Amino acid sequence: MSTIVLTVDDSRAMRDMLRHSLLAAGFRVLQAEDGLHGLEVLETERPDVIVTDINMPRMDGFGFIEAVRRDETRRSMPVLVLTTEVDAEKKNRARAAGATGWIVKPFDPIKLVEAIRRVAA
Amino acid sequence: MENTHSGTATLALPPILDLTAAAAVLENFLTRRGKPLSVNAAEVQRLGGQCLQVLLCARAAWAADEQELRLDSCSEEFLAALDLLGVPPKILTYCKEMPA
Amino acid sequence: MDPMAAIRETFFQECEEQLAALEAGLILMESGAAEAETVNAVFRAVHSIKGGAGIFALDALVRFAHVFETALDQVRSGTLATTQAVLNLLLRAADALADLVRAARENGTVDEARTAALVVEFTQISTHGHEQPPTPAPAPPAASPAWHISFTPAASLYAKANETALLLRELRRLGPIEATLDSSRLPELSELDPEGAYLTWNITLAADCTELAIRNVFEFVEDDCQLTITSATPPEPGLKPGDVITGDNGFSFEFFPPPVFDEEEAVPPPPVEPEHHEPPATPLARQNPVETMAAKAESAAAVSATIRVDLDRVDRMIDLVGELVINEAMLSQRVLEAGIARASGVAMALEELEHLTREIQDSVMAIRAQPVRSVFQRMPRLVREVAAQTGKQARLVTEGEGTEVDKTVIERIADPLTHMIRNAIDHGLESPEKRIAAGKPAEGLVRLTALHRSGRIVLEVSDDGAGINRARVKEKAIANGLIAPDAALTDDEIDNLIFLPGFSTASTVSDISGRGVGMDVVRQSVVALGGRISISSRPGQGSTFTLSLPLTLAVLDGMVISARGHTLIIPLGAIVETLKPKAADVFPLDGEINLIHLRGGYVPMVDIAASLGYCDELIEPNQSVALLVEGESGMRAVLLADAIHGQRQVVIKSLEANYRAIPGIAASTVMGDGSVALILDVDAVVKTTRSELNRSESSLLEAR
Repeated sequence: MSTIVLTVDDSRAMRDMLRHSLLAAGFRVLQAEDGLHGLEVLETERPDVIVTDINMPRMDGFGFIEAVRRDETRRSMPVLVLTTEVDAEKKNRARAAGATGWIVKPFDPIKLVEAIRRVAA
Repeated sequence: MENTHSGTATLALPPILDLTAAAAVLENFLTRRGKPLSVNAAEVQRLGGQCLQVLLCARAAWAADEQELRLDSCSEEFLAALDLLGVPPKILTYCKEMPA
Repeated sequence: MDPMAAIRETFFQECEEQLAALEAGLILMESGAAEAETVNAVFRAVHSIKGGAGIFALDALVRFAHVFETALDQVRSGTLATTQAVLNLLLRAADALADLVRAARENGTVDEARTAALVVEFTQISTHGHEQPPTPAPAPPAASPAWHISFTPAASLYAKANETALLLRELRRLGPIEATLDSSRLPELSELDPEGAYLTWNITLAADCTELAIRNVFEFVEDDCQLTITSATPPEPGLKPGDVITGDNGFSFEFFPPPVFDEEEAVPPPPVEPEHHEPPATPLARQNPVETMAAKAESAAAVSATIRVDLDRVDRMIDLVGELVINEAMLSQRVLEAGIARASGVAMALEELEHLTREIQDSVMAIRAQPVRSVFQRMPRLVREVAAQTGKQARLVTEGEGTEVDKTVIERIADPLTHMIRNAIDHGLESPEKRIAAGKPAEGLVRLTALHRSGRIVLEVSDDGAGINRARVKEKAIANGLIAPDAALTDDEIDNLIFLPGFSTASTVSDISGRGVGMDVVRQSVVALGGRISISSRPGQGSTFTLSLPLTLAVLDGMVISARGHTLIIPLGAIVETLKPKAADVFPLDGEINLIHLRGGYVPMVDIAASLGYCDELIEPNQSVALLVEGESGMRAVLLADAIHGQRQVVIKSLEANYRAIPGIAASTVMGDGSVALILDVDAVVKTTRSELNRSESSLLEAR
């Protein structure tokens, strides 16, 4: 079964871009447009890897990652942060929240796919 | 996970042995301590570092207790994971020295 | 549309948002109100545009964005001070970036000389003194045939869903690995923390790869493990923990510094600030999780809390709802004519229908309501350009950007606003020298404000310039034959002479203020929208243009009246009250105009039919119904009509678009019976009356 990736990003262009790149890499793609929406998706879906933005309305990436980790069954679900933030403090916050990896966008689709393969069991 | 007629306890490992499984696997070993144990790894699909720690620790405990610890059947995925992690399957088992 | 084209279109839409954020941030920086986050946001905006442009191979855009971004990064790191000159350059670069984005979107061209000149300017201000084009990752140094890797994961590594087994799997992709395990730190089984970390892996990797490639594998975990990588050959220079590798497309990652690592889990993770995830005030509709599995990829579309809809579709709906309103009115009338009782089921159902129709209409109109921000955002650039062209210094302050108004109105306020702002800088503000001589700061202030007032949107453009030179305006108006040499005009009337056709106070027609288009054209276009424009001025202190427009151009609440057999609509917003005049209260003044005594004051009376030229003979006040109305400026008049037929919401059909502009008439509508009725321009009627009254009064005074 192919790897399922949940992308959480408020930018439609970025979501479309991610979907396009990830489908091309043979992944299956779920999409959500912010943290809350991401949690809703997780109620019914079990992706292998989550790729999330940080700056989003309603629930940002930090809150989203924390919420994912709070669920016992999702503690080992890899969450990659894909963001324009380059600030060390934000990165540390994401790591403290339980982010598996940190990728600065604009992203290189090949590197992203590599990173997903690296963390996906 | 039941005792067999021979007095040897069994433990079937779950398919996913990652972070979320480690505590339960440890608990299962602890409750079976002091008796010979046959571990069934036929269903294992994935083995992570922390469950490996439990297996290594359990082997040491069974050896200290001088109880037999056997690996019954292993899935290919389990054996491949052990190989990757640098663990020969043999060092997870303990065989009581046969009395002369 | 092929998928990439669609993504490209989305990219450009988002570029516009980034450009707006960029400009807003730069303006905040200019005003000195910027915080660290403002600079970050500005940087991010350019960074995002560059990133997207990279994906679509928009090279010119990428190159310029890169130079721009480099400078912003220096601002952010504090190596480039934001002097006025630097901010000015950044603002002009933002304009150029906007042009590049638009050119890329439309496959158009830009002024390459200007872009190149900006790049040179950036080079000059840059502390590094040279441009750094995006470079691929540094060429890999000499490889080593074998590596020894010692890897001790911390519990925190697992807690973040990283996994030793996966890291080893990844290492094996580089070459054959041999791992041996150091389990000496494992405790007794009963002491074991199942989620602790006690193992060390010693790995030999036989691979002809760089240390960078190995560190790449551990990219995400360097903070959560102890890692040493040694080679038979000395390690290549350059890559240290903390280094940031940047590749094509701006992809980058940072080597985490070597962690302080104790027996136990190192330092506890820093406390995370409590996050507030308050739901929005109005709960958003729950959306189904979006599933775009590959199998459904074709049909699935991203669900969004907002959707972008082609405006044509909304307009079509507005038109249809307009027709629905008219049809509903017609139906009501037919039912009434058929003599069906008001309490009958039909009448009640009809009432319900009317209610629903009204709600649909309101809802549809709300879809098109937009904040004026999009128009306001274009103005700072205009101010910069006009200021540069006129040699003046000007700063724009905007207020009320969030004020919402119908999309059709938004589209049409840009031009009048542009003219008003050009005018404010060109004619309103003095030169810096004159300002300093007058004791004012050299930099002039132009204030642009939007607010809702009594069902209309009011836009004000004010400047702190010299104000209108009334003597000169009057002189010019007399010279142009616009007013009689002996005309007695109030200050306000003189000020508003600038809206008369053909009026221009500048001795030479300026290229700046509307490119030779006078304020009369601005006024005409505003009036055509059912709006009004006026100016007030205080000598030495500046002028204020006030533009008021209906919130929508589609519907109007009006009072239906008849005047000599003609049906007219009077906008409800203008009506203060209706009354029945008594002959005793009416006082004739100078033949033409009657005054009515109303609560101790006198208000001029206007015969609507006569003022519109339907007849010459004036209606007898006691034979008429009267409506007290108030114009935009607060001036009142009493309108006389034959009868009032009640209130109605009418769908506005522009008379100008369908016929031509008529003084005193704002627009037209289609009535329930299918006939066309005209909508009265109350303000125009009141103003005309008041002017006539002033002249009558002054002639009376002179006669005395």
